[in-house]
Amino acid sequence: MTTINRQATPQEPQNPRDPQGLHEDLHEIWGNPRGLKALTIVNHTTLGLRFMVTGMVFFLIGGILAMLVRTQLAFPDQDFMSPDIYNQVTTMHGTVMMFLFAIPMLEGLAIYMIPKMIGARDLVCPRLTSLGYWCYLFGGIILMSSLVLEMAPNSGWFMYTPLSSSEYAPGLGSDFWLLGITFVEISALSAGVELVVSILRTRTQGMALHKMPLFAWYILAMALMIVVGFPPLILGSILLELERAVGMPFFEIAGGGDPILWQHLFWLFGHPEVYIIFLPAAGIVSTLIPVFAGRPIVGYGWVVFAIIVTGFISFGLWVHHMFTVGIPQLAQAFFSAASMLVAVPTAIQVFVWLATLWLGKPKMKLPMLWIMGFLIIFVCGGLTGVMLALVPFNWQVHDTHFVVAHMHYVLVGGMFFPLIAGLYYWLPLFSGRMPSETIGKWGFWLTFLGFNGTFLIMHWTGLLGMPRRIYTYDTGMGWDIFNLLSSVSGFIMSAGIAMVLLDIALHFRFGKPAKQNPWNADTLEWANFMPPSAYNFVSLPKIETRHPLWDDPDLPRTMAEGKHSLSVANHGRREMWGTDPITGKVREIIHLPGNSWLPLFAAMALAVVCISLLVRVYPLAGVFVIVAAVLLLRWSWENGAHPKAAPDAEVAPGDPPLHSRTMDGPGLWAMAIALLANGSFFLCYLFGWFYLWTVSPEWRMPETSPLSLIGLVLAGLLVTFGAGVLEKCVRGLRQKRDAGLAISMYSISALGFVQVAITLWVLLSANLEVTETAHDAIMMVGLVYALIHGGLGAILTLLQGLRVGYGYVGAHAPFEPAVVAQLWRYNVVTFWVLVGALAVLPRVIGS
Amino acid sequence: MRERYKRHAAPLSIQRLTRQRVNQLAAPLMVIATLFLTGCAGDKSILDPAGQAARDVVLIWWIMLAFGTVVLVVVVALWLYAFKRKHVTRTAVEERRIARRWIVGGGIMLPVLSITALLAFGVPAGQRMLPLPLSEPPEVIEVIGHQWWWEVRYPGAEGGEVVTSNQLIMPAGEPVDFHVTGADVIHAFWVPRLGGKIDMIPGRVNRIRLEADEPGVFGAQCAEFCGVGHAHMHLYVEALERDEYDAWLAERQTDQLASLAVNDQQHEPAREAFMTHCASCHRVAGLSAGEVGPDLSDLGSRTSLGAGVMPMEEGAINDWLHNHQTLKPSNLMPVHDDIDSATLESLGAWLETLSP
Repeated sequence: MTTINRQATPQEPQNPRDPQGLHEDLHEIWGNPRGLKALTIVNHTTLGLRFMVTGMVFFLIGGILAMLVRTQLAFPDQDFMSPDIYNQVTTMHGTVMMFLFAIPMLEGLAIYMIPKMIGARDLVCPRLTSLGYWCYLFGGIILMSSLVLEMAPNSGWFMYTPLSSSEYAPGLGSDFWLLGITFVEISALSAGVELVVSILRTRTQGMALHKMPLFAWYILAMALMIVVGFPPLILGSILLELERAVGMPFFEIAGGGDPILWQHLFWLFGHPEVYIIFLPAAGIVSTLIPVFAGRPIVGYGWVVFAIIVTGFISFGLWVHHMFTVGIPQLAQAFFSAASMLVAVPTAIQVFVWLATLWLGKPKMKLPMLWIMGFLIIFVCGGLTGVMLALVPFNWQVHDTHFVVAHMHYVLVGGMFFPLIAGLYYWLPLFSGRMPSETIGKWGFWLTFLGFNGTFLIMHWTGLLGMPRRIYTYDTGMGWDIFNLLSSVSGFIMSAGIAMVLLDIALHFRFGKPAKQNPWNADTLEWANFMPPSAYNFVSLPKIETRHPLWDDPDLPRTMAEGKHSLSVANHGRREMWGTDPITGKVREIIHLPGNSWLPLFAAMALAVVCISLLVRVYPLAGVFVIVAAVLLLRWSWENGAHPKAAPDAEVAPGDPPLHSRTMDGPGLWAMAIALLANGSFFLCYLFGWFYLWTVSPEWRMPETSPLSLIGLVLAGLLVTFGAGVLEKCVRGLRQKRDAGLAISMYSISALGFVQVAITLWVLLSANLEVTETAHDAIMMVGLVYALIHGGLGAILTLLQGLRVGYGYVGAHAPFEPAVVAQLWRYNVVTFWVLVGALAVLPRVIGS
Repeated sequence: MRERYKRHAAPLSIQRLTRQRVNQLAAPLMVIATLFLTGCAGDKSILDPAGQAARDVVLIWWIMLAFGTVVLVVVVALWLYAFKRKHVTRTAVEERRIARRWIVGGGIMLPVLSITALLAFGVPAGQRMLPLPLSEPPEVIEVIGHQWWWEVRYPGAEGGEVVTSNQLIMPAGEPVDFHVTGADVIHAFWVPRLGGKIDMIPGRVNRIRLEADEPGVFGAQCAEFCGVGHAHMHLYVEALERDEYDAWLAERQTDQLASLAVNDQQHEPAREAFMTHCASCHRVAGLSAGEVGPDLSDLGSRTSLGAGVMPMEEGAINDWLHNHQTLKPSNLMPVHDDIDSATLESLGAWLETLSP
């Protein structure tokens, strides 16, 4: 080991290597390969940029689709597009903008920015970042190919059943949507999980929760909302695809299903989604305003409060998209009030920003111009949002162009304008160069005026009675002139956006070189090199306040000179701090995996699954599910004391241990957050079961439950017992005891497999007629869920047994069984809840 | 027939709006807006209400617009002013006090008070629109949405249920309950000048109560995206005085319509062609019971054709039979190129006579 004294507290190293040498050491380990091997990169900086560039490409495609729509609607009775093509274009415009632009773009920004802002070197699951990117790219390409093949989904971006079901949407359009979007959502969920864990566990020393940059709070909320909010849509998509492919009647009245269940699942996702998009954008605003006002934000605590409240309320107002469905009045009143209440946290933020400007010395630089545009448009959209939350008004304007206008005010105002502000603000960091103020201003004014010309007028068109999603209209309704104005303005707006993109593209070549920290910002990302290196920081500082760069403007230099912690890299590991989620005290050294082909290959296997499901070659899909699973398990194999991870656990004197040598690694947290997503999925499943049971008009339930209660109880006892033994092993490991660990793991795994076998027997002996009744179909889904989870638990435990044998796991590296134990605990709870809901309750209550 | 297409009601007038208690603040705005509107409102304008429910909503809208505009202008002005004003150095305590004043005043009080006021005003308005039980049960009209046409039923008609399609006649000056559902996918029933919309969902019956102040014709259109024909799913709702309405219903009793359909001999060949080519999908009272397409029993007396896509004029049906896929792209009626033009013409001529 080196003689350099590395300590957990930021004392000056006694004999640091020269900065260039440190850089070379770190670059050796962290640097990006070139050529074909660039596909193996797992680094957050590179992947963040890839996310953002890909997002921009999809944005351009979505924008062209929007221009097609505006061309068609410019005049009455146009036949520029046939109704079917028009429906494909509008469906894809919404889908692309929401799923392939807004969310991945903001995720990309967060992936790029978060480690730099919290003083880390990478996200905590780098290979997951890479898997997420490839799933996004492949899913996006699959979806876009439907447009080229002229078989794009045409049932609207919210895919209401039965219009999207096989009877009214034959062909592959809906399947492209359901499978493609689910594929893309793997990327949203994986980014969600790792952003949560990274923010909670890898902040640099001393960055207690209350010293964290506000942007990280916003991203934390966004990531948690993704984790909880996306599973309802994934469940809905799986159910609808099962209905279309196999004929399981979840949403079909005649089979005892209910089309309204789709709407609930969709909006359970769809409303939080709006805030998933808005929160990071508001995070940009909260980051920029203090910088350009030259003072700390006032009311940091208020903002954090507002973020948390927004997160919670946003899950309680999905029904406001469904006020015309005929929901009971009391529920409507509740959701109406809840929808209006969300104005409170939003208003708090608007006035915090105002007060910060008021008390500071604000400068109207280019990014601030976009923030002003955001303010005007977003406040306007928020006000129409409160109007729409009023049920009687909603009944009138729902599904008119008024709503189209409102939605664009909220999304373009609430997301696009802050995003451009943020891009302009961070451009010098991306490239080391400054953008052009002149082209930037032209771009802003054209976009701003074009936007308002398009959508302010559109409120009026809606009030004059124009429904949304009509591909043409008759003259004489008073709509003609307003539609024409909207279309012309739409093209002005695209000219503005083209100018912005041109400015950004040109600046990489012609921009003036930027000086370090050009806006005089307070947060750590500006302590990076410009453009940043793959490892971000040569040494990781200890943070005293929320404004490290204002406190110590010299920090970038001292960090680059290796005068803070973890600057040594001759051990060959990618290292950063694992800190306490609340206090930011150092707990362990996290070592990260390096570049790998596995994420790309796994994503390719999943793409084959997606395509073979699409063309209905199910055996092939089955084979590639196994291939993908094997690749992912292979990936998990390279952890702990594996030669490719951290075979040598030695650390410098005074440093904390490696995370794989503790019971407290980030994987534990990642598993917990992944299970949170899984739990959200499971709760939505239960919601579906009880919803159909109680609400569906033609629900049919057999007199006696088809499920064997004895079999289920037996299986439940087995999984409970297995989990208990595993807990005992984990307790032993905590006390450094690992005698008989491998045998225990194999036995637990065997229990798991027996449980799976019994559950499978219960399922098969129930003779469920899944294409006949929604009851049997949804019961089947629940049991298959239990089977998959039981099987996963058993396989992971089996692998643990093997790993003990190889010496990758044991008293010296006790971390992984604790991770697997969480899954078993989860399986115990969900299994018994399933038994209660599917087998016991029907027996007790009866049909 | 054509005059039914013209706007029946007078242009939006202040008097009609001021029947409600009008907020002093909103009145001048309404004057301006009224001037702006009279030139350009079509027969689907929310801003030109012809019934109590729609009038309540439009009043709420103007008040919300006025209030919202004030909020927007003030907030933006404050932000811009923050850039212009001279910086004053303050102590931390002063800063905190100023900040708290902004946050509590603007961030909490403003939205909470606005929401309370809005709910206090809006909830009773919504309550009035609900189809709550009345001392005298209102007329019930059933409307069923199909891809892409409307089936309309009058279950309470004296002498038995009356069934028709693509026309909706209702009594004026009294509340009418619409019981709506969808036959295939989800549609939505919406008569903007009378009041809010309601979804027509297969397997469910939703109810909405509307009232037309005076006789008139009001545009309606399917408001929930329902597929390729969504843009061409119109309906003209006509409100008649009660006695005219009763007379209209009486003329459409099945036996009345049946005699109309079968009695005159000169159209016998057309009837035969109808029975061969059309009867399995279309109902003509006394002749056929098809339920796939719209009922045609009194087609000649309707104001429009193809769910509101073209006005009913002489020769319109013939035009439709020849060119319906151009007039209403993607509609579900097969192209009749297997029938010779002369037969189509005779069919058109006969269907035109189906007018009580």
